[in-house]
Amino acid sequence: MKLGGGGGGLSSAGTKAGMIEGERPASGVLDLGLLKRLFTFTRPYAKSRNILFVLVIVRGMQLPILAWMVGAIIDSTVANKDLPMLFWSAGAYIVFAAFTDITFCFRMRLALNLGESVIRDLRIKIYDHLLNMRMGYFHRYSLGRSISRFTTDAEAVRMGVQDVLFVTLVQGGQMIGAAVLMAIYDPILFLIVLGLVPILWVLNHHFRKRLSTAHREVQESYSRVTSSIAEAVNGIRVTQGFVRGDLNTSLFHSLAQDHAEQNMKLARTTGFFIPLLEFNSQLFIAILIFFGGYQVLYLDHGIQVGELIMFFFLANLFFSPIQNLGNQYNNALNALAGAERLFNFLDLKPDWEEPDNVKDLPPIQGRVEFDRVKFSYNEDRPALKGVSFTAEPGQTIALVGHTGSGKSTIINLLSKFYLPDEGRVLIDGHDMTEIAGASLYRQLGMVQQQNLLFSGTVLTNILFAKPGATREDVHEVIEALGCRELFEALPEGLDTPVGEKGGGLSLGQRQLVCFARAMLADPRILILDEATSSIDAMTELVLQEALTRLLANRTSFLVAHRLSTIRRADLIMVLQQGEIIERGNHENLLKQDGTYAQLYRQFVQATTEPPKG
Amino acid sequence: MPTENPPSPQPEDYPASKLVSRLLKLSWNYRWGCLLVLFLQIFQVGLTLSALGFTGLGIDVIHHASNPEVPEANWPFGIAPPDSWSPINELLLVSALILSFALTKMVLGFANTVAVGHLVHRQIVVDLRSQVYKKLQRLSFRFYDGSASGSIINRVTSDVQMVRTFIDGVMLPVFIVALSLFFYLNYMLRIHVLLTLACLATTPLLWGLAIYFSKKVRPAYKRNRVLVDDMVLRLAETIQGIAVVKGFGREKEEQERFFSKAEYVREQQGWIFQQISRFSPSIGFLTQLNMMILLMYGGWLVINEEIALGTGLVVFASLLTQFSNQVNQISGITNQIQRSFTGARRVFEVIDRPVDIKSHGKKAVTLDQTRGDVTFENVSFEYKENATALVDMSFEVKAGTCVAILGATGSGKSAMLSLIPRFYDPNQGRVLLDGHDLRDLDLDDLRRNIGIVFQESFLFSMSIAENIAFGNPDATREQVEKAAKIARAHDFIMAMKDGYDSVVGESGSDLSGGQRQRIAIARAILLEPSILLLDDPTAAIDPQTEHEILEAMESAMRGRTTFVVAHRLSTLRRADLIFVLEKGRIIETGSHEALIQRGGHYSKAASLQIIDDELETFGPIERIDPL
Repeated sequence: MKLGGGGGGLSSAGTKAGMIEGERPASGVLDLGLLKRLFTFTRPYAKSRNILFVLVIVRGMQLPILAWMVGAIIDSTVANKDLPMLFWSAGAYIVFAAFTDITFCFRMRLALNLGESVIRDLRIKIYDHLLNMRMGYFHRYSLGRSISRFTTDAEAVRMGVQDVLFVTLVQGGQMIGAAVLMAIYDPILFLIVLGLVPILWVLNHHFRKRLSTAHREVQESYSRVTSSIAEAVNGIRVTQGFVRGDLNTSLFHSLAQDHAEQNMKLARTTGFFIPLLEFNSQLFIAILIFFGGYQVLYLDHGIQVGELIMFFFLANLFFSPIQNLGNQYNNALNALAGAERLFNFLDLKPDWEEPDNVKDLPPIQGRVEFDRVKFSYNEDRPALKGVSFTAEPGQTIALVGHTGSGKSTIINLLSKFYLPDEGRVLIDGHDMTEIAGASLYRQLGMVQQQNLLFSGTVLTNILFAKPGATREDVHEVIEALGCRELFEALPEGLDTPVGEKGGGLSLGQRQLVCFARAMLADPRILILDEATSSIDAMTELVLQEALTRLLANRTSFLVAHRLSTIRRADLIMVLQQGEIIERGNHENLLKQDGTYAQLYRQFVQATTEPPKG
Repeated sequence: MPTENPPSPQPEDYPASKLVSRLLKLSWNYRWGCLLVLFLQIFQVGLTLSALGFTGLGIDVIHHASNPEVPEANWPFGIAPPDSWSPINELLLVSALILSFALTKMVLGFANTVAVGHLVHRQIVVDLRSQVYKKLQRLSFRFYDGSASGSIINRVTSDVQMVRTFIDGVMLPVFIVALSLFFYLNYMLRIHVLLTLACLATTPLLWGLAIYFSKKVRPAYKRNRVLVDDMVLRLAETIQGIAVVKGFGREKEEQERFFSKAEYVREQQGWIFQQISRFSPSIGFLTQLNMMILLMYGGWLVINEEIALGTGLVVFASLLTQFSNQVNQISGITNQIQRSFTGARRVFEVIDRPVDIKSHGKKAVTLDQTRGDVTFENVSFEYKENATALVDMSFEVKAGTCVAILGATGSGKSAMLSLIPRFYDPNQGRVLLDGHDLRDLDLDDLRRNIGIVFQESFLFSMSIAENIAFGNPDATREQVEKAAKIARAHDFIMAMKDGYDSVVGESGSDLSGGQRQRIAIARAILLEPSILLLDDPTAAIDPQTEHEILEAMESAMRGRTTFVVAHRLSTLRRADLIFVLEKGRIIETGSHEALIQRGGHYSKAASLQIIDDELETFGPIERIDPL
């Protein structure tokens, strides 16, 4: 009897999910550690989780008892022909059933809510983690990748928490309960049940690996499908302009087809696995009929018909979860595959950590110093080869040079998007690595090439620069920029909605919003990265004036600006292949007749010379 | 960018009845696959029933053998083994039969899973995805202007999955549940009619409960999709705008905002969960009520020897369990119905959306090679209501002319260009190419005759050669190189490690703006179009490298009708004709010299740059800057 009980427990653990035992880390991934870690996410909800466990245990016991009651009632009617007793026990049955259902209600609700809370935490964690990554990360990894961590993988984990864990536990409990009852009724028959356990265990073991590979392949083919769609949607204008629709559709079709094939592979594996489990329970019933019958007929001390019936019900209870557990096993693999990718993502370290002892940058004058700064994005291509310069407060610095000469890199280092490999970047004498990024950003304004706006309105986009600013402040800023008319010309003025990535506004309008956004921040240091080049000539007339005001009293860095602005810069630095090859003001540089003079001539030529031939 | 903006609007409400008939029609396309699955499933139900019957028979055989008072076992169809058989032989036969049923069922089970997989994954999902995708490729820009890309992507991915659940999660299960309920019912009625009726008395209640629940939860599921979409959009935007978020040091605020969004989703889900967790146990209780009735009434019948113990009560109890299992599935199915409807509404919205811009079928005029005469006749156009972009615009441009368009932000430059390849149709008036109304031309032909370079060049993550050959994937390497040379892209491409086979990273981030734009120019001219549209291609390029693109543009324009949005005097000067646009109208037109002499808007706008020019021409660097 004892032996039987223990065996039942063992068997349920074996089928529940092989990887819980973690005796062999299948291809080193779906392991115990992953589960443990997943489990830690329930810690904030320890109270409801613990109640849940109690409910799960209670329910795990209730189910076999319910089945046992049915068997026992039938047994008693046959044995005693006791009608009043039958009615009383049937009444007891329904009362107990009601109690079971109430447990079920709370079990379900708690589990679902727990899963949802965990996924919410995960989502927030992913989001926070993304925001903590340094710029390098965003240059390396695609948008679709982050999105699928957030959607598909997190969703799989939710399934794992909501369903797999607790359903598995309830059903495991149900199996144990049934096993105990069977062992009590007939240890010999129970031993036969036990004999089937190793078969189930081997089956599980065998399919475990195949299923996990199949799952991973399905997920991977799916992410190929997703990223293809994402690109198609983002590049739709090009696609239509170039009449590529049909070809794209057929390319996509083959991707979708490939995903289908991966799904088929998975279906074939599960299609074999689950019926096989089911077959096991039928096999047991065949044995039960024959062997149990033999006992009843030929062995006087054997069990009676009533007990045989009881066994029939209990066996059902014992075997039916196995199929379900097979399904749950699939889900568990799925969840763990998702969790694995999620944790891999969450484990990515930011390219550097801000040390704890960083200090807040006090209000600054705006003195910027680069001291023999070296930097490279990847090892074989240095972007800056030891750059030194000093920008005094209020100065306008223009960075001039071809694409890839290092202009943007200087900006990236100045914005602390990256840290220098060697050398120091100093702001008012404070080493960049020793000041908190957040405090730097409060005094730093930026207008970038992409002119990125968020969905919302023009107003909310401008307010982005300064939480707590009012509509009045924005009006003032626009007034100061001298482009009130341009804003008023928008369909709904400041309340004009801005679509995703600023769609709905023209490039020039988007640029204007970015200007106002930077102006509102009122920074000591201002970075304009190729800012005015996309403003049309009409608008630029207005903006040139505004720019003059914007630059006043700030240390400004201009990248690749209009000549008229560059010419007025206090310091022009000409970059080439990561080095400053010339520096000085416009006049001096022209007199030097070096690269700057050449660039200048080229530019002027390009803008003035009539077409040849 | 506070996110208090309302989540994207819901697809218009599609009445459920229409949706069902539509979904059924869809299923009809897969009738053979569905029939096969149904057949396999029903066969399995039959086997389960037989195995169950024989289990009961086994019990009765044992019961009779151990207690001769009990009536003899009742073999099905009256085919009993000869009396000479000992009970143990009979039991052996019964066990063997149960086992063989189980084996057959196992094989069928495998076949069934594979058949479902084939039906769902290989056929339905692939078809639907391709269909939606194909439609997305055809839908006009108006659709894209008005939809968030995250939501569009979802239509092809998760929404399609939801639609297919109508077939494998709703329709097939409904048939299977209905048929197996029918079989179970039949079997039960054969055992005892009154007992069956008594045990199933609660079933109508079950149905009522299911319907009530589905009505209650439906809107919540809809809302849930919207909220989740919105949250994903927030994430996507943050990643795309990460430089801005970091640049303004707004991580904390964004995190807080996101937190509230995520929390909102959780709360809303919580309500749905509350409903579900009330529904499922209620259903469970009803089935247990059935069991209680069976025990009382059935027990009484056994005691009175009206039904047998094995084939009667035990089988009946099992049948009842099976029966309620099937009925339980209904709650799952109602859930799936909600999901499939929500998904279907969103998918059908795309599939049904009229392609407002398309060729006139067979009647469309096909043009192999166009000359390139472009005419606007009283064209008025608005992106959406009350957002007028062009007002009564008329002009005629002869083939080979280079037209430069100058105008303030929002003056209608891009709108004008968009009408030529029919990205939009004008609201009034018509646009003609070589004397044909664009709407009479074959759309693909038309667009193949037009090369376009956009403000921001979107390159796909494939090789550079494939990007250049985007409009004609069959182009030879010579053609690609030729186009690249004209676009002055050949040299830098060859300087790359893999040359033309270098793969462009997402959004071409590893190439400079100038390089990307030159690839875009090569892409535009690969097809030797007679018309070239350049929508301010230098906009995102730094002036130092601009001349490289100007050169590329220059050589690309040769021999083509060109419309170029430009602000640089260099380009404007080279144009044969300049249009100055203001508020959707052409306010000035003429050559550079003519316009300068006129002293209107153009000369004013040009003055800024002319200062530069004159400065250089006459050399007095020391002169006082007029600004």
